[in-house]
Amino acid sequence: MNEQAPLRIVLAKVGLDGHDRGVKVVSRALRDAGFHVIYPGLWQAPEAVVRTVGDEDADWLGISLLSGTHLTLVPRIIDLLKAAGLDHVGVLVGGIIPEADIPKLHEMGVSRVFGPGTPMTDIITYLRSEGSRTHA
Amino acid sequence: MLSDLLARLEEKDRLALARLLTLISRGEQLPEISSAIGTRNETTPVVAITGNAGVGKSTLVGKLAEYLRGEDKSVAILACDPESPLTGGALLGDRIRMPSRPDDAGLFIRSLAAASGHQAVAEHVDLMIRLLAKFGFDVILLETVGAGQGDTAVRELADVVVLLVQPESGDELQWEKAGLLEVADVVVVHKADLAGAEKTEGQVKELLSLPGSREIAVLRVSSRTGQGFEALWEAVMAAPRRGTTLDGRQLLRLAQQLLADRYRSRGAAAGPIIDRWKAHQLDESQAAEQLLDLLVR
Ligand SMILES: Nc1nc2c(ncn2[C@@H]2O[C@H](COP(=O)(O)OP(=O)(O)O)[C@@H](O)[C@H]2O)c(=O)[nH]1
Ligand SMILES: [Mg+2]
Repeated sequence: MNEQAPLRIVLAKVGLDGHDRGVKVVSRALRDAGFHVIYPGLWQAPEAVVRTVGDEDADWLGISLLSGTHLTLVPRIIDLLKAAGLDHVGVLVGGIIPEADIPKLHEMGVSRVFGPGTPMTDIITYLRSEGSRTHA
Repeated sequence: MLSDLLARLEEKDRLALARLLTLISRGEQLPEISSAIGTRNETTPVVAITGNAGVGKSTLVGKLAEYLRGEDKSVAILACDPESPLTGGALLGDRIRMPSRPDDAGLFIRSLAAASGHQAVAEHVDLMIRLLAKFGFDVILLETVGAGQGDTAVRELADVVVLLVQPESGDELQWEKAGLLEVADVVVVHKADLAGAEKTEGQVKELLSLPGSREIAVLRVSSRTGQGFEALWEAVMAAPRRGTTLDGRQLLRLAQQLLADRYRSRGAAAGPIIDRWKAHQLDESQAAEQLLDLLVR
């Protein structure tokens, strides 16, 4: 009935660093592009992120984290998503990720990595073209 | 597909619950879902928390949920934030203020976007409430977008309406007066840790003591210090239930929603009627009748 229902995306700031300026900027830009952005706040544990994605029935999960934690936290979240029956949710990673690690993240199941300074239009265009696997 | 979801719902599958909420929020398969859920069990209290932006609705809902978990009651929260009228986008940030209890099956939180305009809550929330009650939650908490808009709808949806105000000047309280008297069953002077809470409590009580007004509890609560939550829950349980569910209004609401959805999906067919109305070939009530005919056909 409602073909262009807005995509729902959870934007999670994972780990212990206390900056959420970047996530907030992305949140607002996605909202202004017509997305429904669920922002659960700072210092999310992987378990809490996965619980939020499930209860919110999100189409996408955007993970923002500090360099150095990505090779431990991202696989942890992806494993938890699988265990929770949420492997249909598309996963994006944002942050300063060394070039060499990007293929590793893709192999783990991350759909795209967006480095700092990625134009918002790239993210928006990407999400629009991918659509939803949750509500295929 | 729907039958599969409904079967999983019977087995308390949380993802099925989440997916059904999405279908409802999109207005999909409402009649089928509605008849599968049946009428709401009247024992599950539905408590709406309303009040102006920034008064601390999300924070209080989160703390109240923690208090209720301590009392061994399971809690579902529907938290509404406004949708942008221009883009249809929404920033749903109420969860920031709410507890994160990833291992606790007894707490469920869903963020919802309320269409812009005069909507205090998201569309089809009544059906979501029935779904959550059927799933087995003991208490349902509904955070509104804010006070002053769509208050009547909130009153029809909830058994008990809790209005939050914060310590502030008497002038602003006057502004709240109509809302206070018409919507609230319980008035909370929130942020009671701030100066002036007692004074505000006195002012609210004075406003409510006008002859002929209903009995409304007024109490001070602070989410920061944790003061007042036991008293708040007592007041909520003591408030007379509105008993909103088992009358024709539930059906009427569903019928109205179905009409609105149909208008959205086949609105184009209404073009000629609208044109003739604009050209004064039909008066407004004739045009409305024809539109209704078109939509029920
Ligand atoms: N002093 C004080 N501030 C509070 C209290 N509860 C919430 N706040 C603050 O009020 C602001 C708005 O809270 P929020 O729950 O988002 O309000 P909402 O817009 O009504 O949902 C936040 O900055 C909170 O930290 C309280 O009990 N005392
Ligand atoms: Mg809020």
